[in-house]
Amino acid sequence: MTLSAALVLPWASGVLLVALDGRRRAVGLLAVAMLAATLVVVAVLTAGVLSGGSREIVTGRWPAGVGIVLRADALGVAFALLSVLVLLAATAHEVIAGVRERTFPGLVLLLAGGLTGLFLTGDMFNFYVFFELAMTASYALSTYGGGRRQLRAALIFTAVNLLGSFIFLLSVAGTYRTTGTLAMDDVAHRMVGVDPNAALLVATGFFIAFSVKLGLFPFHFWLPTVYAGSAPAVAAILSGAVANIGAYGLLRFGAGIFPAELRLAAVTLIVLGAASLLYGAVLAVARGDVGETLAYSAIGQVGYVLVAVGVGGPVGLAAAVLYSVVNSLNKTLLFLATGVRGALVAGAFAIGALSVAGVPPAPGFVGKLEMFRAGIAADSPALVVLLVVGSALSVVYMFQVYQHRFWRADPAAAAAPSPLPLRALTATLALLILVAGLWPEPLLALSNSAVDGLLAGRTG
Amino acid sequence: MILAVALAAAVLFGCGAYLLLKRDLVRVVAGIMLISQAATVTIMGSSLTRGSAAIGVRPGQAVSDPLPQALALTALVIGLATVALLLALVHRVVVVFRTSERDELAAGDAQHEADLEAERRADQEEAG
Repeated sequence: MTLSAALVLPWASGVLLVALDGRRRAVGLLAVAMLAATLVVVAVLTAGVLSGGSREIVTGRWPAGVGIVLRADALGVAFALLSVLVLLAATAHEVIAGVRERTFPGLVLLLAGGLTGLFLTGDMFNFYVFFELAMTASYALSTYGGGRRQLRAALIFTAVNLLGSFIFLLSVAGTYRTTGTLAMDDVAHRMVGVDPNAALLVATGFFIAFSVKLGLFPFHFWLPTVYAGSAPAVAAILSGAVANIGAYGLLRFGAGIFPAELRLAAVTLIVLGAASLLYGAVLAVARGDVGETLAYSAIGQVGYVLVAVGVGGPVGLAAAVLYSVVNSLNKTLLFLATGVRGALVAGAFAIGALSVAGVPPAPGFVGKLEMFRAGIAADSPALVVLLVVGSALSVVYMFQVYQHRFWRADPAAAAAPSPLPLRALTATLALLILVAGLWPEPLLALSNSAVDGLLAGRTG
Repeated sequence: MILAVALAAAVLFGCGAYLLLKRDLVRVVAGIMLISQAATVTIMGSSLTRGSAAIGVRPGQAVSDPLPQALALTALVIGLATVALLLALVHRVVVVFRTSERDELAAGDAQHEADLEAERRADQEEAG
């Protein structure tokens, strides 16, 4: 029941709100209320899944095997909860600052519907449909602001990600050809008997599709223009919520459905992740622009996730889940803080910066700690050294940005401070992140049980 | 038959990739359209079966697999919607920038780079 509600609520209210004028304050507040309601439903679902195991329903009361399966397991609900939280923060930010386009609130709710749908489905093609719903909403969102830079960014974002979606679709066709089914559980079981060459080809297709979403090193070319060019709230949505599709996809498809191919490609993944990490960090140091530094930092941070997925095993995968959660919260806070001026904001930005750099008590420290454990589990000193270098570079670029923005006697920066509610919201988000760093047990428990569910599904 | 479908998909994808590398934005959209069609053809090719439609089947009668047809229909509709969105976006770009050439769109980037460079120089002077 809560499972269907988590999908229907944002979708239905999104369809309704797209028709209304989102520039009105009441409509914006309604969107925030609906996202908050979705967050509550997903939180109830998460509590249920964590205490009572994963839930499954077959749509339309079809017998199992015919109907499409919706499934809520710990990994799915963790990402759904995170994404809805990010969307809620970004929408509240934009509503307080004043929405500039009529479709914005409706599109965010449709995006929320698509994201919860794809995190809570057990069927590959259904995943594709929700994926397109979420992506279409975010293509339209990326034009938000309507300036020249936004339009150019939107065009690049749409063209590159559409290509990624069709590569995903080609791999779905390949999966159906080789296994004769599209239900994720059955595919995972039947993949064992498939010709290894075909399986590797299909798995590579999925990997490319998700890497494009995530902006990993060889597929990152679109990302800096888009993140730096979009409005702050949209950049927060893209980096905090939409990029989760890539991280979730790597975990669900890589570790859940193609574990043999993942092991085979482990070294390649670690090398690509390391390249992404260093490339992102070095370019982030080299760029002067705040938006671009954060965008290159995003490329670097997803490198950590890929390295952790490549290391694999319970330790590596748990680190990957935890790091994606922490990274998406950091990026949301930082991108939102770039759009705000005045007191409290510098503190909020500093917490985000410390979290990216991995300094306690920010949650980035817990993420980095888990990454180091993964590096030690892989028995590779080179990996640990690499992680340290990456963290050191992130300290450099984050505080370069901090200094540039908050320590400079710039007449342009001394413009009127943002309204207090906006600053309070940014500070609240920062406080939430700080609490997650001081009391990381719930996050750790969530990522561990997510990985347990993923690994149990593989053998069982 | 599978070979014919595979060849068709390959030719569509190849043409799409070629158009994607063109400078004109409308051709880029056409390339993406062709690639979406290549994906649909691949779905059809992924299960070629002979038989009657899967409705009101008598026992013992051969049935053609309905699933890929449903998938292809869904993929076509999604492809139509996304390409329409992309065309609307290109139209907006043409209205705002008065061009549909990619190089001219990138001119804005050069300006941005120059601004950044000036800012960096100002930073160095401040430090030195």
